[in-house]
Amino acid sequence: MTRFPEMIRALTDAGVEFILIGGVAAAAHGSVRTTEDLDIVYRRTPDNIARLVEALRGLDPYLRGVPPGLPFRWDARTIERGLNFTLTTTLGAIDLLGEVTGGGSYDELIRHCVPAELYGARCECVSLPRLIHLKRCAGRAKDLVALSELEALLEENRKLGEDGQSR
Amino acid sequence: MNDQTKQRAQQDIEPDPVIEAFKRDVDRTLLRENLKLTPQQRLDKLEEMQRFVEELRLGLRKGASHP
Repeated sequence: MTRFPEMIRALTDAGVEFILIGGVAAAAHGSVRTTEDLDIVYRRTPDNIARLVEALRGLDPYLRGVPPGLPFRWDARTIERGLNFTLTTTLGAIDLLGEVTGGGSYDELIRHCVPAELYGARCECVSLPRLIHLKRCAGRAKDLVALSELEALLEENRKLGEDGQSR
Repeated sequence: MNDQTKQRAQQDIEPDPVIEAFKRDVDRTLLRENLKLTPQQRLDKLEEMQRFVEELRLGLRKGASHP
């Protein structure tokens, strides 16, 4: 089980620039579906990569789904050489995305975000319309049910006149 | 939902017939309840559900090891 509050706090406390996407973002927008991991798009600047490394350093990050024992060094060089990482940590599963299909990098996606006060800190969360766009672009069959719910949510949200949350 | 609301919701999203078909089965009463909450309260609910599912899985494993 991923401990979302502690994981999000670890990132915000370290000053990491990141955007919540995926199931946690969907839940924050009102989805009733559950999720097992935290998906974030992180900013790929040297300073931010250093902050990300520090934020997760004490959590034993390791590549998810690879045979145990495979060498993996958690440092800025590894992050700079790669882009997207699916990790296990002592707080649970986290996906770190340098870029996301349909959304691009942090600097592109940040234009489609809404601020959220979560666990005592301010986070950037992808907007509901953009989350729908990302899921559509991913083109995965497994997302069809989630997409139907998100689009219904967008309709309900706008019906309630809470359009302020959607950009 | 009236046509105007639906049109606005879909302004930037081209309707997909498959998603539209799935959408008919969405329980909107649950969504409406969630929309009354703050984003923090929604995540608290997610966490609560996660804990419940974890308990359930543990219970099933225990049950399977002691038939």
